[in-house]
Amino acid sequence: MPTVVLMDVSLSMTRPVQLDGTEEFQRKNLAVHGLTMLFEHMATNYRLEFTALVAFSSLWELMVPFTRDYNTLQEALNNLEDYDKTCLEPALQGVSNIVQQEWGSTCPCQVVLVTDGSLGIGRGSLRHSLSTIKHRSEDKKFPLPFPFPAKLYIMCIANAEELQNSDTLDNLEQLLSLNGGEGQIFTVEGPLCLKNVQSLFGKLIDQAYTPFHAVLRCGNLSSDVQVFPRPEPVIMDEEVDPAPRTILTDLEIVGFIEIGDISSPPVLSRHLVLPIAVNKGFLGPTFMGTGTTDETEEENSANQMAGKSPNFCVLLHGSLKVEGMVALVQLGPEWYGMLYSQADSKKKSNLMMSLFEPGPEPLPWLGKVSQLGPTSDAKENPYGEDDSKSPFPLQPKSKRSYAQNVTVWIKPSGLQTDVQKILRNARKLPEKTQTFYKELNRLRKAALAFGFWDLLKGVADLLERECTLLPDTAHPDAAFQLSHAAQQLKLASTGDSQYAAFDHNITPMLTDFSGSGSSDRDRM
Amino acid sequence: MKMFSISHKTAFVVDHCPYMAESCRQQVEFDMLTKNRPQGVIPLAPVSKSLWTCAVECSMEYCRILYDIYPTRKLVNFIVSDSEFHILNSWNQADQSTQELMAALAAVGPPNPHEDPECCSILHGLMAAVESLCKITEYQHEARTTLMDKADRVSNRGRIICITNAKSDTHVRMLEDYVQETIQEQNKLAISSDRLMQIQQCELVLIHTYPFGEETLVSDRPKKEISPVLTSEVHSVRAGRHLASKLNILVQQHFDLASTTITNIPMKEEQHANTSANYDVELLHHRDAHMEFIKSGDLHPAGSTSRDSGLKETVTLKWCTPRTNSVELHFCTGAYRISPVDVNSRPSSCLTNFLLNGRSVLLEQPRKSGSKVISHMLSSHGGEIFLHVLNCTRSTLEDPPSISEGCGGRVTDYRITDFGEFMRENRLTPFPDVQGSEVAGKVPLERAKRQLERHTRYWPMIISQTTIFNMQAVVPLASLIVKESLTEEDVLTCQKTIYNLVDMERKNDPLPISTVGTRGKGPKRDEQYRIMWNELETLVRTHMGSSERHQRVLDCVLACRSKPPEEEDRKKRGRKREDREDKGEKNGKDSESERSWQESERLKAALERDREELAEAEVIKDSPDSPEPLNKKPRLEVEDVQPAEKAKGPVSLLTMWTNRINTANSRKHQEFAGRVNSVNNKAELYQHLKDENGMDPHENGKAMR
Repeated sequence: MPTVVLMDVSLSMTRPVQLDGTEEFQRKNLAVHGLTMLFEHMATNYRLEFTALVAFSSLWELMVPFTRDYNTLQEALNNLEDYDKTCLEPALQGVSNIVQQEWGSTCPCQVVLVTDGSLGIGRGSLRHSLSTIKHRSEDKKFPLPFPFPAKLYIMCIANAEELQNSDTLDNLEQLLSLNGGEGQIFTVEGPLCLKNVQSLFGKLIDQAYTPFHAVLRCGNLSSDVQVFPRPEPVIMDEEVDPAPRTILTDLEIVGFIEIGDISSPPVLSRHLVLPIAVNKGFLGPTFMGTGTTDETEEENSANQMAGKSPNFCVLLHGSLKVEGMVALVQLGPEWYGMLYSQADSKKKSNLMMSLFEPGPEPLPWLGKVSQLGPTSDAKENPYGEDDSKSPFPLQPKSKRSYAQNVTVWIKPSGLQTDVQKILRNARKLPEKTQTFYKELNRLRKAALAFGFWDLLKGVADLLERECTLLPDTAHPDAAFQLSHAAQQLKLASTGDSQYAAFDHNITPMLTDFSGSGSSDRDRM
Repeated sequence: MKMFSISHKTAFVVDHCPYMAESCRQQVEFDMLTKNRPQGVIPLAPVSKSLWTCAVECSMEYCRILYDIYPTRKLVNFIVSDSEFHILNSWNQADQSTQELMAALAAVGPPNPHEDPECCSILHGLMAAVESLCKITEYQHEARTTLMDKADRVSNRGRIICITNAKSDTHVRMLEDYVQETIQEQNKLAISSDRLMQIQQCELVLIHTYPFGEETLVSDRPKKEISPVLTSEVHSVRAGRHLASKLNILVQQHFDLASTTITNIPMKEEQHANTSANYDVELLHHRDAHMEFIKSGDLHPAGSTSRDSGLKETVTLKWCTPRTNSVELHFCTGAYRISPVDVNSRPSSCLTNFLLNGRSVLLEQPRKSGSKVISHMLSSHGGEIFLHVLNCTRSTLEDPPSISEGCGGRVTDYRITDFGEFMRENRLTPFPDVQGSEVAGKVPLERAKRQLERHTRYWPMIISQTTIFNMQAVVPLASLIVKESLTEEDVLTCQKTIYNLVDMERKNDPLPISTVGTRGKGPKRDEQYRIMWNELETLVRTHMGSSERHQRVLDCVLACRSKPPEEEDRKKRGRKREDREDKGEKNGKDSESERSWQESERLKAALERDREELAEAEVIKDSPDSPEPLNKKPRLEVEDVQPAEKAKGPVSLLTMWTNRINTANSRKHQEFAGRVNSVNNKAELYQHLKDENGMDPHENGKAMR
């Protein structure tokens, strides 16, 4: 989940903070201090997160595009200049554009808005934006809700008491509710000072940037892992089951499936599964470094140690890659996912976990996951002795319309094609007797269901005329079959229950010639 | 997302009164001229559908699309109304198919034009529809039963689609009022019943249909709230294709569908088999498949209207020449069932048959910029076709660290092939859902988990950690012992395997003991066998509790291993093995990992002894490749347990411990340059004085490192 830090650099951020005895701080200094702490945390514990820095006042500017280089972010943060007034709406629009350009509109993002809570006055102020929200034309809509799933964290470099004197909190809360309630407002507790700002950002870190640690198990084999990005809680049915579901920290492999059998299933999200060495007293993945070289020697040797002790994740990854399989993993009650090897273009590969939609049957072609069992329980190996077969995909109970030759006559061409098929076969009687009756019965059934008796009469007439047009060379059976079929259709068109039953089929007339007819077919 | 939304229940009410027998006045030529027809034949008069036929075939088409895209959980109750109501099916999932409905419709037949119009009314059907909406569906029942005290979370909503021929706007209002009153009455009845639920929300869709060429007597009206429970809308459409396209639009609205046109489909021409022309096929599916377009406002306005459905938009995606990619795992964010708009047309059936044969087609999104973006994939799974949405934006997981850079990444002798074999043995397969299988131990997935547990009780991850799994001779036993239960024959096979090993030992066959990181020959043959027997015992011991037959295999191992190595032992080291044997049995299962740990320690000690015998110059105490003793243990749980028994190997516990600490410490500091470059622990001082370049010795040392 990429992060956009939206930093208020309006003049009000330069207001000094009264601190007794010590040197004078601006609110901006406090904000920078807090963000520095956030960046440091991310650089050590959340290094794969992409973060962008946007500064805004009446205008906005993308200071640092999405990057994992926290030094660059820090540098830009330290060099922010002071500008004029606070205009939040264009800045939010800017964030929206930046995110969509980079990640599209399906990737969830986190927006960290850092402000002192004075949100401007008059035109361009948040209050003004919110009051006009209902009178917007289509092209000037308020940027919230964002087109992508977003969490909005508002970091106020102000305490709740001072914010209560204005309508700031009301406005910010309205902003949150515009974002579907996704996010949170944080205010400084107690007087404004470095320590309290630290605890403010500490809360954000706890809320949004704590790494997700879990244990991956396969029977008695296990490995401590970090799952990145953190899996977010999911709500499946807000009415019947409104409680958000979170994945367990105990990820249990339940079995294995071929990639061809699982066949590109739809997933809610994808996560890297990174083995970690928790029991060595070394927290966090050992190799998240992308460019930082200032790791201590001690860390290096710990890395080397961890690198050299066998880890289940590496074994699993290697075999999944070689065999072209995925591991089905249980994430919670009636919630599953899959583990597989994912290779990127640079020949690097990784253990990846995708989460399926929660529920007992996330993929129709696997059926209910709880009904999947070990092949050794089956009477004969469903994969065949030489791995030539597969029990997947599961066939659905009923066929879809496109798989069962349904009759649709909404367009005249549909009806004409069906009649033509009958006629084509009628001209090749008696060789095509079976197909002729098959097509005839299909038409008959549909006509009866649709109450289209006139068509039955029409086709009967058509067959009778065909009968008269038969060439002298025609097989004598053809004439018999044609008039028999015509007669049967006529009877059906009366609606007489004896002849118009839906399940009744017109069968070929038994003639003295039928024998020769069938042998003709045999010869074909 | 709500499961019990309005679209959970749809009641179709189709008018079967005498006036519906009237012709729709749109003629269909069915006697087409073909090229090999004799000259001079006058074609038969065209036929014309009745209002009833039009209504029925359009509502069947609605159901066809619905069932294609939602095979379950979206239910239809079909009702026909004349002098009374006829309910053609129930809410049961088993009754939800167009074949069922067609058969029932055939039994009803077309309306009888001679029936007394006074007796006939659509009201009978509407009443039946309201009653039906009160009836609980299987899904509602199941959800209520599982939710228990929160059963009130299960809602009861529904939609009534009524196709009739109304007389006037006043008549329409009367129908609406009637439905409203009936809902009130039925809701009262529903309170006191278990099988009925009150209707919380009902959407009435009245479709007035009339023959071509007539003036309509009823005006269209958008959705309007009649009461908090009931909303109503009125559509006035001519019969025939107008009605068909109206219902096509409605089914899309009612079930959140959207349309995609696949363009540039290459298709062989019937006449010219070696040429191909390009065709388009329109598909319907859930509109979430277009989420990316909808959100980015990128629904292409140019040429985006569908040819057939008039008002609805369609997204055009281009066919990409398919490549075989069944073993490729695409990052797919959604898969949605499809239904072709024109199911019987030749292009449609060509496309669907192609897919049903197991091939997948990638679809390309036409972009103004001209860049090629593959955004979707059509693929069938078990006779159902799905439109997969592929992720085509930048991934937040790009450039991840490689697994080889992380924990365990430097280890090179993982048993990858063996674990692959293990995965094949633990592949899953579907079992039929039998009632009563909830009993513990019978749920297939639970059995799969238990099998994984059994198969991993002793599973060394790297080749140098194991001997037995590198031996072909052990395979029969190793594959049988993990079974839940053994047959007599299995026990016999295991015993044979063990005797075979005894035989090998007697013949002094070499064993595949890992010599990674060692110089020289590795441990002596009898050591090797002891290690092998210990490991085998460890494996079998983890399963001894499974059954009496498993125990017998263990007994066999214990009996066979005890003698020959013991004699050897006595001769060579004069140690008392019995002690150990006794102790081992007393400690039972719990000590097995310890024992194997000790064995590994002993192996290591032996290795070290061997090394000492080597040339003095070889000071490679801790080759980076030699595995850490700590990691040799198969299980992590027993990590803190110190060896209870004093090791009987040639090295004392103190020595082992000191060695380990030294090893660990030596890694934490940089070795003195002098010691690194020393010869026989003597380093020459002031080397640089000799060096012509006058290189700093410290730097020199660093460069060496």
